[in-house]
Amino acid sequence: MALLAHRFRLPIALLLLGLLLAAPAAGLIDAYWARTVMLIAILSLLVSGLNVVLGYAGELALGQVALYAVGAYVAGYIGVGLGATDVFLALGAAVLAAVAVGLVTGIPGLRLGGWSLAMVTFFLVILVPNLIDVFEPFTGGTLGLATAVPTLFGAELTGDGLYLLIVAVAAIWFALVRNLLLSRHGDVFLVLRQSPILASVLGVSVYRLKLLVYVIGAIPAALAGALFAMLDGFVAPETFTFALALSVLAASVIGGSTSVYGAIAGALVMQLGQQTLTRFQDWQLVIYGGFLLLAGIVFNRGLAGLWHDGLAAARRRGLLPKAPAAAAVAEGEAELGTLDGAVLRTEELEKSFGGNKALQGVSIEARPGEVTALIGPNGSGKTTLLNLISGFYRPSGGRLMLGETEIGGRPAYRIARLGVTRTFQTPLIPKDMTTRAFVATGRYATHKVGIATALLRLPAFRRGYRADDAEALRLLRLLGIEETADRPVDSLALGTRRLVEVARALASRPRVFLFDEVGSGLDESDLRVLEHAVGMIREAGGTVILVEHNFPLVLKLADRIHVLSQGRLIASGTPAEIQADRRVLAEYTGATDPADLEPAEPRKGGR
Amino acid sequence: MTTVWAGLATGAIYSLVAIGYNVVLLASGTFNFAHAQLLMAGTFLAYTGAVTLGLPVLPTLLLGAAGVAVVALLEERIAIRPLLGRSDAHGALITTVGAATILDGLAAVIWGREPLTVPSVLPDEPLTLLGGTVRPVDLALIALTLLTGVGLHLWSRHSLLGLASLASAEDREAAAARGINVRLLGTGAFVLAGAIAGVFGLLVGARTYAVFDLGHSLALFGFVAIAIGGSGSQLGGLIGGFATGLVYAFAARYIGAEFPQIVVFGVFLLILFLRPRGLFGAALERRV
Repeated sequence: MALLAHRFRLPIALLLLGLLLAAPAAGLIDAYWARTVMLIAILSLLVSGLNVVLGYAGELALGQVALYAVGAYVAGYIGVGLGATDVFLALGAAVLAAVAVGLVTGIPGLRLGGWSLAMVTFFLVILVPNLIDVFEPFTGGTLGLATAVPTLFGAELTGDGLYLLIVAVAAIWFALVRNLLLSRHGDVFLVLRQSPILASVLGVSVYRLKLLVYVIGAIPAALAGALFAMLDGFVAPETFTFALALSVLAASVIGGSTSVYGAIAGALVMQLGQQTLTRFQDWQLVIYGGFLLLAGIVFNRGLAGLWHDGLAAARRRGLLPKAPAAAAVAEGEAELGTLDGAVLRTEELEKSFGGNKALQGVSIEARPGEVTALIGPNGSGKTTLLNLISGFYRPSGGRLMLGETEIGGRPAYRIARLGVTRTFQTPLIPKDMTTRAFVATGRYATHKVGIATALLRLPAFRRGYRADDAEALRLLRLLGIEETADRPVDSLALGTRRLVEVARALASRPRVFLFDEVGSGLDESDLRVLEHAVGMIREAGGTVILVEHNFPLVLKLADRIHVLSQGRLIASGTPAEIQADRRVLAEYTGATDPADLEPAEPRKGGR
Repeated sequence: MTTVWAGLATGAIYSLVAIGYNVVLLASGTFNFAHAQLLMAGTFLAYTGAVTLGLPVLPTLLLGAAGVAVVALLEERIAIRPLLGRSDAHGALITTVGAATILDGLAAVIWGREPLTVPSVLPDEPLTLLGGTVRPVDLALIALTLLTGVGLHLWSRHSLLGLASLASAEDREAAAARGINVRLLGTGAFVLAGAIAGVFGLLVGARTYAVFDLGHSLALFGFVAIAIGGSGSQLGGLIGGFATGLVYAFAARYIGAEFPQIVVFGVFLLILFLRPRGLFGAALERRV
C-alpha cells in the first residue's frame, strides 16, 4: 500500500497538473480564476528563485523584482522593437539578460557575504525606475511599454493558450528545481547555508557555488517577468516596486524558504490575500513586516515545515502509511580498503596575527600509515597549525608541503581537493538533512555528478546517487552507527556527531586526516569506537594528524608526538620519549622552577 | 563649491546612518538593517514636536531622542534578542528587514504617505563660505555629524565602555567570561544609536523632508558608506558617507538628474569588487 502510494506519486502529480491545465478550456474555472492562477504561477516563480538563494545558499537576495523587470522589458522590447514575438525567443532572451545581470551584481555582491548581496540587490530594485528612465527609447519610460501579442510557431497565443503556456512554464521550472534541490547539489547548498567553512572542507569553492546558486535564482524571476509582459500586454515602472520585493520575501518565508513547493503555497497565500483583503491596503507594509518577524523568530520553516511535521505526525499515529524505507544497499563486509596516504611536511612554518606570533619555526612531518599527534597547552598553536594546513590561514613564513606540492596559502577548498580533510572541535553539522545524505556530501568534489545530469535525472545521476548512498551507508556501518542513516543529522548526540564527521571525512577517500580535539566531550564507549576508527585509518595507509588534550589517549594512539608551547615546538618523539621528557612534564604539570628542569634539547624531528 | 557643500550635507546624513550601523555592529555584532528607519522616525518626531505640538527646539530634540531610543529598544527586544544564541546567523537578515518594513508601514499609517516639511531651526539665508553657498542648517548638520563621528571613534578606542563593546563584538563568550554584560551592552548600543538618530531628526528632516520611505535610500547610501569605510570603523564610515554624498552631488550636477544613484551604484560595485573590506578596513582572517 505504502509502496503503491509512493510509486504512483508521479502519475498523480501529472494528473493534477493536467486537470489544472485543462481547467479553463473545460469550463471548470472562469476568467477571473484563470487570471488568478496565472498570477499565482508567476509569483511562485519569483518566490522559487528567492528560495533557492535564501533557503539553500543562505544569501538574502532582494533583487527578484529587478530581474522580473529585466525579464518583462527584454521580452517586451524584442517583441515590439525587433518583431521577435515567439515565446521561446522571448523567454530565452529574458533568461540570458537575467544571467548577465546576475553575474554583474553577484560577482561583486558575493565577495564578502553577509549583507553585501542583500544591499546590492536592494539597490538594484531602487534603481529600476531610474534605469527605465535612462533607457527610455527601449522601455517607454514612465509611460510604459505596450507589448506585442506573443506567438508560438507563428500562431498567436492568447486566452487559454497563454494560460497553458504560463502554467506549463511554471510546472517545468518546479520540476527542474526539484531535481536540482533534491540531489547532492541541494545537499551541498544546505551545507553552504549552514557553514561556508564546512563547504570548503568538502572541496567546494564557496564563492563560485554561491554565485552559481544566485544566478540560478535569477532565471525564474526573468521567466516570470516575460510571462507577466505577455499576460498584461503592457509593462510600466509602477509594477516593479520595493513593496513587491517585500511581498516576494514574505511569500518565501510563509511558504518556507528551504523547500521546493513552499514557494507555490506562499505565492498562493500572498496573491489571494492581496486580492481579497484590499481594505487592508494601508496596513500592507506592517503586515509583510510582521510576517518576516514572525517567520524569522518562531516558525522559520513556513507552511512547508508545518506540512512535513503534519505528515510525520500522521505517520506516527498510523493515519498514513509509513514512507517506504530506502532500499538496503551494499551488503557484505564493511572494510576501509587502502588509502593513498601522503606525506605532510611543514618547514619552519610561521604564523603571526598582527604582532602576536602564534607559530614560530615549526617543522614537523606526518607520514602515511602513522598517527602524528600535536599536544600542548591552550594557546600553544595547535589549532592554528591545523588551520594553516587546511588553508583557513595563510602562513606568514615557511613552507607547507603535501608530498612534493607546496600548499601553503592555497584556498581551503583547493587543499581539500588535494586530499586533506578534517574534523572540527565542535562538529559542523547541517540542518534539514539525513545522516546518510550528509556523509555522502563528503564525496561531492571527488565523485562529481554534473548539474545538468541531476536536472534531467539522467541514468548517470541515478548511478552516482546510488553509489554515494551505498558508500555512505558502508562507512556508517564501519563506524557502528548504521542505525542513524535515515535520522536528521542534527538530532544526533555529540559523540555520534563526531563519528559522523569521521564518516564524512572518509567518504572523500582523503590522503591526510586532521582530527581537531576529536576526543573531547566523549564518553568511554564513544572513545573506544573513535580509537578503533583512527586505528583503521592508520592501517589503511592514511596520514593522520591528531590534536588532542587527552594525554593518555594520545599516548595510546600516536606513533609520533610533537609538543607545542607558545607557538614553538619544544619536543618531538615517540610516546615513550615524550613521556620521559621533563620539559613536557613541566608544561603539563605547571612546574616552573627552572632548577627542576634539565636543559633538555628539543629533539626536533629526530628519529 | 556649492556642489561640494551640497554633497557634504547629503553625505552627512549617509555618515549618520553609517555611524548608527557601526555603533550596533561594534557592540553586538549585528547589522541593524532598520537603522535608516530609525532616522526616518526621527524626522517624523521632529515634525510632530516642532509643527504639530509647536515645541521649541530643545524639547523637540529631547522628544526625538527619547522617542527613537524607545523604538530602537523595542526593535532590539523583538527582532534581535530572540535570535541570540541561535546557530545560524541568517535570522537577523530577515527580522531586521521585517522590523524596517513595520516601521515604514507604521510611519505611513500614522503620518501619511505625503512628504512633510520639517522646519529649519536656523535662519534660512544661505551663507557664502569658501566660494560656495550653504544653508546654516546644513552647515550645522555637517559639523555636528563630524563631531559625533569623531567623538564616537575616540570614545570606542579610549573609554573602558568602548573597549568592552569592541571586545564583545569580537567574541561574545570571551567578553562575557571577562565580566562584561554583553546583553546590556547590546541593548545599550541600540538605545544609543536610536537616541543619536532621534536627535538628528530635526537637522536631517530639514534637508530631506519627513517621508515614510526615506529609509530605503538612506539604508542603501549608508551601506555604501560602510562599504567604502570598512565595517566597524567609525572614522571610515564618516569619511565614506561624505565621499558618497560628494559622488552623488557631482554626478547630479555634471551627468544628469537621473544618474546620481546609478553612479553611486557603480562605485559601490567597484569597491566591493576591488576592495571588499573597504578602503580603510583591515583584512580579517576566518577562524574555525
